[in-house]
Amino acid sequence: MVTDDNIIRIEHISKIFKTGTGSVTAVDDVSFNVRRGEIFGLLGPNGAGKSTLIRILTTLMKPSSGRAFLDIYEVTKDDEKVRGIIGVCPQNSTLDVELTAYDNLEFYGKLVNVDDSVLDERIWELLRMADLSDRAHSRVSTLSGGMRRKLEIVRAFLHRPLILFLDEPTIGLDPESRREVWQQISILNTEHITIILTTHYMDEAEKLCQRIAFVDHGRLVSLDTPENLKLAMPAGELIELGCDHFDDSLLTVIRTHHQVISVEKKEGIIQISAKNGSNLLPVLIAEFEKSGVAITSISIRSPSLEDVFLYLTGKKLDDMTSDIPVPRPGGNR
Amino acid sequence: MLRGAIAIFRRDFKKFTSNPFMLVMTLAMPIMYLLIFGNAIGGTITGIPIGIVQEQPFVHETPLYLAGLDQLEHFHTQPDKPALFHVQSFTDETIAKNALADGEIMAYVVFPSDLEPGRTIRLYMDSSEFTVPALVQSGVFGAVAATGAKNPIESVNVYGTVDYIQFFGVGVIVMAIFMTTMFGGGLALIRDREMGIIEGYFVTPVKRSSIILGTIGSGTVKAFFAGFIIFLVDIFIAGVIIRAPEDFFLVLLVLFMTSIGVTSLVVSLASRFSSQQEYSSVIAFFSLLLFMTSGAFYPVLGMPSWLRWITVINPEFYAVQALRSIILRGQGINVIWPDLLALAIFSIGAIILGIITYRRTLE
Repeated sequence: MVTDDNIIRIEHISKIFKTGTGSVTAVDDVSFNVRRGEIFGLLGPNGAGKSTLIRILTTLMKPSSGRAFLDIYEVTKDDEKVRGIIGVCPQNSTLDVELTAYDNLEFYGKLVNVDDSVLDERIWELLRMADLSDRAHSRVSTLSGGMRRKLEIVRAFLHRPLILFLDEPTIGLDPESRREVWQQISILNTEHITIILTTHYMDEAEKLCQRIAFVDHGRLVSLDTPENLKLAMPAGELIELGCDHFDDSLLTVIRTHHQVISVEKKEGIIQISAKNGSNLLPVLIAEFEKSGVAITSISIRSPSLEDVFLYLTGKKLDDMTSDIPVPRPGGNR
Repeated sequence: MLRGAIAIFRRDFKKFTSNPFMLVMTLAMPIMYLLIFGNAIGGTITGIPIGIVQEQPFVHETPLYLAGLDQLEHFHTQPDKPALFHVQSFTDETIAKNALADGEIMAYVVFPSDLEPGRTIRLYMDSSEFTVPALVQSGVFGAVAATGAKNPIESVNVYGTVDYIQFFGVGVIVMAIFMTTMFGGGLALIRDREMGIIEGYFVTPVKRSSIILGTIGSGTVKAFFAGFIIFLVDIFIAGVIIRAPEDFFLVLLVLFMTSIGVTSLVVSLASRFSSQQEYSSVIAFFSLLLFMTSGAFYPVLGMPSWLRWITVINPEFYAVQALRSIILRGQGINVIWPDLLALAIFSIGAIILGIITYRRTLE
């Protein structure tokens, strides 16, 4: 079962929560693998079961059934071993806002068994990485939301874990901070670390993730690279070419191309819907040149992941909540 | 303007009535103040244990001794209350003296021998308690006067003059330990949980037992320092005197036992509450109840019997009593061992409870 290139193997994981009136299935028979060194996106609307799945993988919760392996360890049996190889940046901050940035990292470093002789050096390295060296001795309560997030992400990376879990890393951040966090995540990925990212922001997943799993109502809907997911859309990409005048024979030539799905003629514009349109575009331009038609404008629009998700599940990702409440254990007892 | 005011009024009121627990607690506080404060402080003190003895050489009991015994046994400050003294006869002055030193009696009266009946009547008092010495003195003077004897009376404060600030100050040491832990420590623990810091522990390889040990350990040290600082204040400002190095170490032992017990109890309590507000209202109730009945303010002798039952199960009472014995009376382990035993039972029980309940929230 152990394969080298799959660092996470999830086998038929289900999680059922008992509620007062009955039970709620938060995760429903999910199986997939995550490859070593990739940034893997877990996408879905709020309440889709992303966080529950993450909680199971990070040993915070036991699955109702199924198994999951992180590297060579099973999450329910070797939970202490698992905790040694993962870094977690949870959705809700767990930084101590009364301590300084440095103290937070030092404290965490001791919890995750970073050797004292290298700890100080490592902390400064991470603070530089997060661009927070000059704020090392500021209390976390004085840092901005983006700074805190970056601090929390590098904290999860303190002990050089094999797998880094980032649960909604940019939720509630302004665009500038989001970009900084993304940059941070990309930098971490160059250190050969596998990153599991949950988000319900399409642009984030598209920008960062090598592969994406769509989750809805606790089920795995689809899993592939962002490009392939988009290819699965029957509508393909939309190419718009502006030109002053042309004859219909050109359109006929275009239509014969096997990638083309449909061609429409509008005033001064030809709209072409095609699979893998970015490959097709140079071919089209060559055709135009051959027939001596001058192109005045070019635009190509991919279907967004949002469109893909909409197509696959029939509902929108953002501003969308499924009816599954996710209980937070450890709260009310 | 009025519309906004009414909206705010309604919102506040809705929140107030929607939480019955808080409603009860806010009412329970003043009621408890009334009942506990009203009864714990300024109650009529009765049944003060005192000794009575006749000087050597002893031939037979003198009429003065017998009359004194009778008068003391039946001396009342108020006609409808029990007798002021609980009198015990001793055959020898040394035995009486030891009984006082061991805290069995709070005063003893020495009547003259039948060979020299005109000599001074001597009264030795435990001066470390608040108001009790004054009561003893006036009671003994009154009883002797009632026998018709004209002997002069000489009073001796066995532990010197103890001011109220010294009596109270020792109680405040224990209060400091309880208050800092119950409010500071407990609230910090709940805040940590609210901030998700405790959950943050769970994704690290740190062991559950390490979390418990670290939490109780830091709380204990904080509580200990709080108590120790008040102890220093007592020494340097209130002017209590530590008579011997071993007394000093005994005080530290009591501080430590109290600190670890209270901290464990608070860890256990704080694990049961999810909101800071609920926790603080409950804890305010308990800390006041325990402090009122600890005897830190006013002698336990003055409390009605139903309140004294709370005293029996109140660890704060044993801590206060042990510290008073050591600091104000210079008594050693031979006197305070029952208090230490009670504290040990409390602390061990609290540690077990703390570990079990905290562990449960950690899983």
